[in-house]
Amino acid sequence: MLDLVFLAASLVFFIIALVYQHGCQSLKGGRDDA
Amino acid sequence: MTPNGWLQIAVFFALVLVAAKPMGLYMARVYERQKTLLDPVLGPIERLLYRMTGVDPNAEMRWTEYGAAMLIFSLATLLLTYAVERLQGHLPLNPQHFAAVEPYLAWNTAASFTTNTNWQSYVPETTMSYLTQMFGLATHNFWSAAVGMSLAIAFIRGIARREMKTLGNFWVDLTRGTLWVLLPICLVYSLALVSQGVVQNFKPYDTAALLEKQSVTATGADGKPSTTLVTTQTIAQGPVASQEAIKMLGTNGGGFFNANSAHPFENPTPLSNLMQMVSIFLIPAGLCVTLGKMVGSPKHGWAVFWAMSILWFAGVLTCYWAEAQPNPLLHGVDQHVVSAGAAQSPGGNMEGKEVRFGVTNSALFATVTTDASCGAVNAMHDSFMPLGGMVPLANILLGEIVFGGVGAGMYGMLVFVVVTVFIAGLMVGRTPEYLGKKIQAYDVQMAMLYLLIFPVIILGFAAVSLLAPFGLSSLANHGPHGLSEILYAYTSATGNNGSAFAGINANTHWFNSTLGIAMLSGRFLMMVPMLAVAGSLAMKKIAPPSVGMFPVTSTMFALLLTGVILIVGALTFFPALALGPILEHLLLRAGTSFS
Repeated sequence: MLDLVFLAASLVFFIIALVYQHGCQSLKGGRDDA
Repeated sequence: MTPNGWLQIAVFFALVLVAAKPMGLYMARVYERQKTLLDPVLGPIERLLYRMTGVDPNAEMRWTEYGAAMLIFSLATLLLTYAVERLQGHLPLNPQHFAAVEPYLAWNTAASFTTNTNWQSYVPETTMSYLTQMFGLATHNFWSAAVGMSLAIAFIRGIARREMKTLGNFWVDLTRGTLWVLLPICLVYSLALVSQGVVQNFKPYDTAALLEKQSVTATGADGKPSTTLVTTQTIAQGPVASQEAIKMLGTNGGGFFNANSAHPFENPTPLSNLMQMVSIFLIPAGLCVTLGKMVGSPKHGWAVFWAMSILWFAGVLTCYWAEAQPNPLLHGVDQHVVSAGAAQSPGGNMEGKEVRFGVTNSALFATVTTDASCGAVNAMHDSFMPLGGMVPLANILLGEIVFGGVGAGMYGMLVFVVVTVFIAGLMVGRTPEYLGKKIQAYDVQMAMLYLLIFPVIILGFAAVSLLAPFGLSSLANHGPHGLSEILYAYTSATGNNGSAFAGINANTHWFNSTLGIAMLSGRFLMMVPMLAVAGSLAMKKIAPPSVGMFPVTSTMFALLLTGVILIVGALTFFPALALGPILEHLLLRAGTSFS
């Protein structure tokens, strides 16, 4: 059971990191796909 | 402090200085995919790896793609290491028949090695099988180091490129850094360590009969003391040299044994000790030259090198001075017995230090391992004098940019360079430019995000742990020393250093979980804004040099960069340091210690 909790926690952290990266990119001046 | 001690420090720095240029130029060739002597051997392996994984080595990545690839790779390797730890009881190369690592500890360790921290809440020789040490942990030492180097190279490309949207290919950088830089050096280095007496085998642990039997009294679960006569000693074995080499070269720091580089099987001789210290700085110092080469300004690379060297020297001077003095509370005890110099030892504060290394090499090792994000130790930092122990702590709090971790030190330093150039621009009232590129609002926002995440994680977790019973119950010492122990733990985790101040039982659910979060956040939440700065810089035009441009090759630049690092660090962390090691120093001088 704890294994699943830590698996989920790891996935959540890296999803947060990807969303955070998207947030950094979205700020004014950060877009690289213009 | 003795002339002999200073001579040893000078020899260490001379070796780093001499090695930096060839190492840096070689790495520039590797990452720019130019010819090297190793191409006939490694080229086919590289091509085979790309074919097997479907990687197009000529495909370039934007910073967001580069960052996503890095995050996905790190998640996959974290889960792999977690699985190996949990399944080790069913896997081969486990002669001691260790059971599965319990979940909290397994996750903490997986996060630790994924982030190049190598914080160890466990005793390796009584917890990890040989397979876990080799496949779960040592491979991570290569991967996490190669990831750090790749990101530093991506940042350097961001500075060097003009009007481009890409920073290179993460998979190519990862592969080339591992194959061309880390593996060949580690192969030779491991053999050199074996020559000094570092063990390398798959034998079960040995048992030796003690010449002098020991009576050990312990309190049982029922609260009653019981005495046991110990007649034998277990001597741990294992594939140590292969792990030791990458542990130092990759600035990982996770020891095969609990005593880390104080253990005679990990670091047997003064020569192996010197090799280990030099290898910590080898790649980070070389990256300064790589920076200069790739951006077309070798002098800029050397300016960064000398700014790092100033901070290194300030640290080693303070630590050596503090440790070269005996503990003032030992007045009245025979100083010739406890701390005065002798033919074989220069004396000083020898508590927690190996006699074969002495004060000089313990202070130098502690400074070097925390300047970089290595975290290996050959002495117990908890036993240093308060100001001596403050040096490793302050080194990590400054962001480990004094040469720093492999790659992480360089990109951390380059973030400081961006801030320095910005401040210099404000001082003279001109638009700040870095090697011809305008530093604009977005770059400074991302650089400040990078710099602010770090203290928020450290001070936030440390504050909760200092207030809550589940944090305080792990402490071995109270008062300012206890504060230092908790502050050091979160600093080491967030800074991805991994060294421990000791004196704290971190193998609890609270510390295993929060230190794991601190390690992941300190690594990945800082990498993202750093990559954003790199991506932004790559897209900019390069303006021709003008008289108004701040020269980043001068002594003035190196001094200003040093000043900015110290001021940012002091403004952020001085209150915490004042309540910890500085207060402890003053109280110790007044005759008070804390148990």
